[in-house]
Amino acid sequence: MLNGMLSPNQIKVQQKVRNFVKEHIKPYAREWDAIGDIPDSAVKAWRDTGLFCLVAPKEVGGPELDTLSATIVLEELGYGCLGTATAFGANNLCSYPVLLAGTPEQKQKHFAPLLEGEFGAFALTEPCAGSDAGAVATTAVRDGAEYVLNGTKCYITEGGLAATFIIIASTDRSKGTKGLSAFIVERGRSGFSVGKVEDKMGIRASNTVELVLKNVRIPAWHMIGKEGEGMKLAMSTLDSGRLMVAAQAVGAARAALDESIEFVKKRIDNGKPLASQQSVAFKIADMATVIEAGRQLVHQGARLKDAHQPYSKHAAMTKLFCTDMAMQVARDAMDIMGAYGYTKDSYVEKIWRDSRILSIYEGTNEIQRVVISGSLLR
Amino acid sequence: MDFNLTDEQQMLKQSARDFGKKHLEPLSLEIDHKSIFPASNIKKLAKMDFMGLFYPDEYGGLGMDFLSYILILEELSRYCASTAAVLAAHCSLAAYPIYKWGSEEQKTTYLPMLCLGEKLGGFALAEPGDAPAYAPDKVVATKDGETYRLNGKKYYVSNGGVADIYIVFAVTDPTAGMKGLSAFVVEGNTSGVTTDKYIEKMGLRGMPTTEMAFDNAKASLLGTLNQGSAMIQEILACAGVAFGAIATGICQTALEASIKYAKERVQFGGPIARLQAVQWMLADMAANTHLSRLAIYQTVNLFEEGKSFITEAAITRMFVAKASVDVCMQAVQVHGGYGYSKEMIIERLLRDVKGTMVSENSSEFPQAVIAGNLLR
Repeated sequence: MLNGMLSPNQIKVQQKVRNFVKEHIKPYAREWDAIGDIPDSAVKAWRDTGLFCLVAPKEVGGPELDTLSATIVLEELGYGCLGTATAFGANNLCSYPVLLAGTPEQKQKHFAPLLEGEFGAFALTEPCAGSDAGAVATTAVRDGAEYVLNGTKCYITEGGLAATFIIIASTDRSKGTKGLSAFIVERGRSGFSVGKVEDKMGIRASNTVELVLKNVRIPAWHMIGKEGEGMKLAMSTLDSGRLMVAAQAVGAARAALDESIEFVKKRIDNGKPLASQQSVAFKIADMATVIEAGRQLVHQGARLKDAHQPYSKHAAMTKLFCTDMAMQVARDAMDIMGAYGYTKDSYVEKIWRDSRILSIYEGTNEIQRVVISGSLLR
Repeated sequence: MDFNLTDEQQMLKQSARDFGKKHLEPLSLEIDHKSIFPASNIKKLAKMDFMGLFYPDEYGGLGMDFLSYILILEELSRYCASTAAVLAAHCSLAAYPIYKWGSEEQKTTYLPMLCLGEKLGGFALAEPGDAPAYAPDKVVATKDGETYRLNGKKYYVSNGGVADIYIVFAVTDPTAGMKGLSAFVVEGNTSGVTTDKYIEKMGLRGMPTTEMAFDNAKASLLGTLNQGSAMIQEILACAGVAFGAIATGICQTALEASIKYAKERVQFGGPIARLQAVQWMLADMAANTHLSRLAIYQTVNLFEEGKSFITEAAITRMFVAKASVDVCMQAVQVHGGYGYSKEMIIERLLRDVKGTMVSENSSEFPQAVIAGNLLR
């Protein structure tokens, strides 16, 4: 694996997370997949690394990792377990809106629980607002010094465990996407509850739930930015999130490749290791090549963001390429392994199921194509 | 060749569909989620005379054509691929070798009980390779008077543990590699046969797959000594078509569910079916399903006419293996998050379809068979 031009600090972070994954995630990921949960002890161990909320700013005592470092962390977590990476990544996703437009008071409010080791969650999707984020039907109505929120959110990562949420709601339904606003809502607000818990094909270590808001009253100062800025904040959040998802995808694909390499070297087929077959060796070469290409896209995207350059289109391309790439690599890995790859004795079986979410969440790959073509065909 | 179905085939197809809808669909989610062997479904299939219908009357079958069997598999797998896979393993992997290569005594002993569904067939070919956690432990057969004794271990036994009659491949000439393999019939309750480990699979979770150990287990030779390799090729070609039909049935369900969902799901002010990206995904799915079905029917046609079908079967297997996974991948994509949730059947279709076409040994890979025949 080429590390290119990583700084000593970035390499240190990479090594730290790699060790963490080896010790605390990989040996248990199969079990977490089966039970659909990450035990508290593992979450605690992750907290102890100081990387629980990577992007929390220094002003509130956070590590404030640069984007490239954050993608390195997510790649390593994705290598260990995509479900765990998704769960741990939720803390970053819910932090971007606050980083982008939060007041110092809001930052304090939002990051305090995260830095104490609580989960956070970002809630945009609704039963009727998936790809069409503008169809958000959750409403936020101003009532004196408060907003009153009503609606249902679904497929919310870590929603059942989070202490702080960013909720995207409509403050003016007549304006569509321009009527959306972003709010900080704490767990425990009256009328705020967790609904159905999703049983999923993969990324089962992560918690995915429905959130129900019934006359949830929050102070007006919990609104991030101005009324009508919710969509813009959500889209910028997803730009960052897409780089992280792509990084996870690279990690998962790398794991599938490593599993494949180990398998084809050990597996004796008609008297010789599978690795001695050209069809197998070439497939391994193809897998490694697209993984490396994906990583370079991720790193370039992170560098663009860190240099404050426009990166929306690049993030969309990166997410599109890396997530499709990871699924293909997982398919190749399973094909190489034959029946063994299809059984739960193999780790590739889990990677295959986990990888299937990648082209769906954080904006389906169709939405990435809308973003990319939209910017080219303007 | 005429792919138009006869009235009889049409009726059979319809009755299989009605049966699947009524009896298989309601249990299919639970069968998958809890890995339940669908014993009650199999009993019902026996009552429908589906357990051996293309074998001659004299052996307890219905003497129907092979395409009828394929049509039934396709229809049943629209509702529960696990049940269809148990049937396909029973008919194609266990009953077929006995019918094709068995002595008259073996045929009259085993086929009626298999065809009537009184006994279930299983198949043991793959051996623990050097894959992680598996030690090489070949099954070796040694002659013991009129019969043979088997020793060793099999990995990935289809219908393992639940079947009564197994086809087992074992080494009869250790010096000859693939040319030293022979086929045997082993009764599941013979002393020395033990089901070792239930293997958890990603899909087709209702079809038990197990490891199986043989400790001086009595076995009867099937066909000619050391002719196992050629038998394997024909069995896998024949069964590949059957499992291809299962994949196609799954694809048909995935396609129909996606069409329905695309018409109902409203995003951006209208049903997503009006979006060209979705339409083209549906078109891809329809094309792959259609071409898979045609390839299967054409191979069936060759088989029924007694022509060579090994290469065509491998081409079919190679095409369907990829096309069917593509179809179900796209079905998940059309459904978005809902396609990934276990509340809907879509994610199961994807997991199941992948399992219809796994090969254990690279010499069984369709590419190897095709190229081998091309370059002969």
